[in-house]
Amino acid sequence: MSRKLTITLVLVAMLAAMALPFSSAVAQEEPVVITWFIGLGAGGQPQHVEAQNAVVEAFNASHDDIKLEHIVVENEVATDTLATLIASGDAPDIIGPVGIAGAWSFAGSFLDLDPIIEELNYDLSRWPEALVDFYRDPEQGLTGLPFATFSSFIFYNRDMFDVAGVPYPPQAFGEPYADGDPWDVDKLREIAMLLTLDANGNNATSPDFDPANIVQFGYSPIWWNDDIRSGVTSPFGAGSFYDPETGKAVMPENWREGIKWLYQAWHTDHFAPDYAYNQSDMLSAGNGFDANAVAMGYSHLWYTCCLTNVPNWDIAVVPSYNGTYTSKLHADTFKILKYTEHPKEAFAVLDYLVAGPAMPDLLQVYGAFPSDPAFSESFLAALDERFPWGVNWDVALESFNYPDNPSHEGNMPNYREALVAVRNWTINMEATPGLDVDAEIEALLATLQPIFDAAK
Amino acid sequence: MSVADRAPASRTRTWRPPWGELTVQQARRLWGWAFLSPWIIGFLAFYFFPMIASLGFTFTDLQLTQPDKVSFVGLDNYRTLFKDAYVGKSLRVTFSYMLLALPLSLIIPLALATLLNSRRLWGRRLFRTLFYMPYMVPVVSLVYIYNGYLNAQSGWLNRFLGEVFGIKGPVWLYSSTWIYPALLMFGVWGCGNAMLTLLASMQTVPTELYEAAKVDGANAITVFRRITLPLITPMIFYNLILSLIGLFRYFDIPYIVSRGTGGPNDITLFYNLYFYRVAFQFDRMGYAATLAWLLFVIALIVTGFFFATARKWVYYAGWSD
Repeated sequence: MSRKLTITLVLVAMLAAMALPFSSAVAQEEPVVITWFIGLGAGGQPQHVEAQNAVVEAFNASHDDIKLEHIVVENEVATDTLATLIASGDAPDIIGPVGIAGAWSFAGSFLDLDPIIEELNYDLSRWPEALVDFYRDPEQGLTGLPFATFSSFIFYNRDMFDVAGVPYPPQAFGEPYADGDPWDVDKLREIAMLLTLDANGNNATSPDFDPANIVQFGYSPIWWNDDIRSGVTSPFGAGSFYDPETGKAVMPENWREGIKWLYQAWHTDHFAPDYAYNQSDMLSAGNGFDANAVAMGYSHLWYTCCLTNVPNWDIAVVPSYNGTYTSKLHADTFKILKYTEHPKEAFAVLDYLVAGPAMPDLLQVYGAFPSDPAFSESFLAALDERFPWGVNWDVALESFNYPDNPSHEGNMPNYREALVAVRNWTINMEATPGLDVDAEIEALLATLQPIFDAAK
Repeated sequence: MSVADRAPASRTRTWRPPWGELTVQQARRLWGWAFLSPWIIGFLAFYFFPMIASLGFTFTDLQLTQPDKVSFVGLDNYRTLFKDAYVGKSLRVTFSYMLLALPLSLIIPLALATLLNSRRLWGRRLFRTLFYMPYMVPVVSLVYIYNGYLNAQSGWLNRFLGEVFGIKGPVWLYSSTWIYPALLMFGVWGCGNAMLTLLASMQTVPTELYEAAKVDGANAITVFRRITLPLITPMIFYNLILSLIGLFRYFDIPYIVSRGTGGPNDITLFYNLYFYRVAFQFDRMGYAATLAWLLFVIALIVTGFFFATARKWVYYAGWSD
């Protein structure tokens, strides 16, 4: 070995030895990185991003031992992205806000929080006990902490009602419509047709109405993921495609009626936008209410996140079906994945998000009603500040009393495969006029049965 | 004689590794491998080993969301291939579309290249740029542009059909009849690259051949059929293989257009879309790996078939039987 090479090697070894104590000191001080995955529920909209960035910055500024990083993914691809991250060994530590459907898609992947809660003596009493138990799974334990609930109702555009001379829908359960008729699905159809206008100003009841040139629709479910369960549960009532007693794929009669009603609305009455209209620029690719092209949009409290264009709106209660009201409910939380290497640090972040300083801001930006009753008033006051013309939030609060049970988002074996089948079927119904609805329903059940059977 | 060979013996320095002196040839070979090694390492790490791993997955029930619960299932996934109706359905979709798209992916660029090769065409450079430019547009942007253009209610095409011809345009993107023409339009939009390579190939045809044909009184069609076409067959073959492989990999456009559903009525459920659905939506990575290997074998056979026929119709200068 040459002399020069020997000297070089010795010098390198000395430098490495000198650097070693410093590097281990640095390593000791390095914070634990906790990754927060956003997109399975609310959180993927541009309106959310800024607030979430602020939460991450504030957390990192106040914690030396933990560094929070976040990944924001669009809702449509969030499930696939998260599955890929888990498979590639890059599973995030925390996901959320995640709703019921998102949780079903990753059942079995969540950390049981009970042991950590017990060890830290964490106080759960701030939330109603029933709400905590909502996140308790017999097999997985406590998989989340209550964060937010979202009732659903009708968002209506006052200006469109005024121009058409149609009275507003009721804002109290049990209250009839302005003409004294019951506020039910038939009345909704009647006024929705009056509010549906073509380019010549004819409404959908007129014989001159041109369905190929509609410029304003009377009614539309908003951001419903083309999931027929979401489209019909409100107002037609709760249900499920799966009967756990027989293991069979079934179609509840109320849903069958709801599907026929909606199909007629898309393709015969034309008061609800079909697939082509929904994908058009005019309806802002599915967000027709905020595009000022839909008079009544059915959605959840979270939709307040993204109402920026429509100037003068209010909310009304869901119409009844056979005398029963059903305001479908969404419930979001944050969950820790069981793959996390730092469960305690992840729990610290979880606490920060659901019960700590981040909670009020996140609730506002997500349009999420707080699960912690202590924050209800301040939440509503903040909403009033954002929408100062006076929105009747009592509708949102009262709607919590009419939830769908079972949830429209849950209760299907082999969930992700079943959900794909349901969504494909829904889009086909939404896009194709002239179908035999009963025959299509039988075809859907025939598709779902082997999917359910495969889970056994 | 190379520069190294001409160097004086006293100045030739060979590298002496610890295991002994190498000959010049061995040293050159070693350097050759050293320079190739980045590619070889990349190939092994990112293609070969993952492929072998995916072959291993075909014998398991690997799930993306439960990678810790993987178990050996033998040939179950291969048996499922024969029972799964969607395999046949998605292969039928892929081959049906291929039958339409493959000829068009050659004929249209060839026609455009012939047009742009004409000396009589005014503004050839401008047209070349214009025809090639769409190829530079990212596929996702292209699909969103076309989604707007072909929207049944607000799209320009249907408005044009309505205003000019008074006819109601179809629901392009959600009609079993019109979805393939719509997808073919997407494909035509991006034919600029094939057009450019064919044009380049046409411009390498020796002009003496054209002059000789002219002297012999050949008309334009005969010149194209007897001279141009045979001499550019290597480039046609190259584009044929690229198009074929591209169609076997066809995914992004139908995925965006149908929002991953494969609709209407599964008519755009291309094989890769079904593979994606099984892998990432149904979370059955073991079976998805089996689907991927089936596609690999099919693509290998079809491509091999075209290679086998190439000697009969592709002209390579210098070849002799």
